[in-house]
Amino acid sequence: MDADPVAEPVTGARPVGVAIVDDHPVVIDGVRAWLATEPRLTVLATGDDPDEVLREAPEADVVLLDLRLHGRMMIDKLAELSAAGRRVVVYSEHSDPATMLAVLDAGAVAFLAKHEGREHCVATVLAAASDRPYVSPTLAGAMVGDPRPDRPALSDKEREALLLWFQSMSKASVARRMQISEHTVKQYVDRARIKYTRAGRPAATKAALLARAIEDGLVRPEEIGNYRSYAAYDRPTP
Amino acid sequence: MPAEPRTVPPALGPSPSGPADRPGTGVARASERGGRIVAVTIAAAWHVAIGLPAVLGGWPDLAAPVVVAAGWLVTAGVGALTAGRLLTGRRVPVRRLSVLLLAVDVTVFAAVGPDRLFTAANWVWSTLGWFFVLVCWGRRVTGLVVLLGAHSTIALGALFGHGATDPADLARYAMYGYGTASLPVAVFFGSAAITSLARQRAEAAATAHAATAQREAAERARRDRRGRLALVADDAGAVLAELAAGRADPTDPRVQRRCALAAARLRRLIAESDDVPDPLLHELRAAADLAERHGIRIDLATVGVPPALPVRIRRRLAEPLTTALVDARGWARLTVVCGPDEVVVGLVTPDHGGPTHGVPEATGPPDPGPDDDHVTHLDERDGTIRWTQTRWRSR
Repeated sequence: MDADPVAEPVTGARPVGVAIVDDHPVVIDGVRAWLATEPRLTVLATGDDPDEVLREAPEADVVLLDLRLHGRMMIDKLAELSAAGRRVVVYSEHSDPATMLAVLDAGAVAFLAKHEGREHCVATVLAAASDRPYVSPTLAGAMVGDPRPDRPALSDKEREALLLWFQSMSKASVARRMQISEHTVKQYVDRARIKYTRAGRPAATKAALLARAIEDGLVRPEEIGNYRSYAAYDRPTP
Repeated sequence: MPAEPRTVPPALGPSPSGPADRPGTGVARASERGGRIVAVTIAAAWHVAIGLPAVLGGWPDLAAPVVVAAGWLVTAGVGALTAGRLLTGRRVPVRRLSVLLLAVDVTVFAAVGPDRLFTAANWVWSTLGWFFVLVCWGRRVTGLVVLLGAHSTIALGALFGHGATDPADLARYAMYGYGTASLPVAVFFGSAAITSLARQRAEAAATAHAATAQREAAERARRDRRGRLALVADDAGAVLAELAAGRADPTDPRVQRRCALAAARLRRLIAESDDVPDPLLHELRAAADLAERHGIRIDLATVGVPPALPVRIRRRLAEPLTTALVDARGWARLTVVCGPDEVVVGLVTPDHGGPTHGVPEATGPPDPGPDDDHVTHLDERDGTIRWTQTRWRSR
């Protein structure tokens, strides 16, 4: 199982500030321990109420949000935070595909299943801090099996990369299977994710992901108007 | 003869060879076949038992007895052909046979002569209606009504032709017309109504049966799941209790392994959201449970609901995976991604380089092309993982 380290340091010298919202102290402690292994990350505040946690650490770059707090699903809160430009990484034991897609639609930068482990967690938070996509294998499965009629149109290569990533959880293995480089595998997966910024309601975080994707050359501006046209572009950008 | 609308409900049409697509179709078809047999029997009995003796008995008084008898024979031929077609489910040439029957009608009415118009020797009057029923069987009632109308008009023409225009003759004509038309129409309608009723009842019964079966399967699945949950909960509870009591050491790899196994099992149970287990998922879960009993930590992730697949395809999707699971050691990740026209089952296990059970060694890319079932099977090793994948595509 390999997770992609983000290529460049994220915000220069200052580490990425993370806020953790969960109603189980044991989970908070666990996630804090995971993040502590990465010097580029620092946990600023933790708690079971998103508003209180963000009052405590308004400068947090990334919010790790448990989707279910005190028995309530937090999709609306997630949409509110995303609309306000908060980069929210949702992590949840609810990894059914419909929930994951709803989370993306609401504007979450990324989704992590709770069982996906440390590497994915660290990589996701680092990517989120720089408005870059990170697609965990579980999320890849939800995207490739998206049954909604208005789902973004993915190219064959993007679908295949998502499928194999979901199956194997190893980009090196996917690359060997598809006979392309790992970098290209990641591009296919990330491009598929960027297409999802057009699904659901608009959010500041989605705009930021899209803008960064254009800046990175992951997608071209002319591909953005209508994602139906995305399928025509199968060639990875340089 | 006006153009006949050929819109026939599938089960009522002359060809019963179509697919049995709706529940109740079989019942409707059986009931409809009974109607055909009844109609054929009535026409044959009437023609032979009533028509023939009357012709033979009235022979000396008929104006042209040979013509009348020839008409009888032609009608018998039409009846035999139509009955053969109806009972074997082939198409009846409605238009040609109708024209032939009407020609017989005109000829016989002319050949019986004025004296025998209202006697049984003029057999067409009472018998031909049943042959119209045969010819129009399974079609709209309009055709039958048009033919019976033509029949009455021909009879009226014959009345005027033979000069039988007394009020008494016209009254008898009206009585005959009513008498000969009402019974065939009633049988025709009655049979259609019985067929339609039989279909409705059969459909309702099939729907109720399907609902019951679904409920029972869901109940069985729920019981099954509760049983497994109890089993898993015991395992998980035991290891948690030992940890809490300090009897188990969390740093001990064996304890960690027990925890991982119990967690994987609980996760799989939680992920089962289908009320009635899909047969493919059921098969894969069973294989996963079995492998787990051999100490393999299994991660089973499914996306989407598999479409209904023929058993052969399902087997071809599942078997390579269940076989590969037998060889697995350590851990395994089993994934199923389903859409309406695609199902992909993947198994990834550590590549331990051991022997394989009837699976070719690292076939590697490129994919072998799909076969007649549109199923591809891929089995490869890259030194790190062994990757088995089966994929079905509808096209």
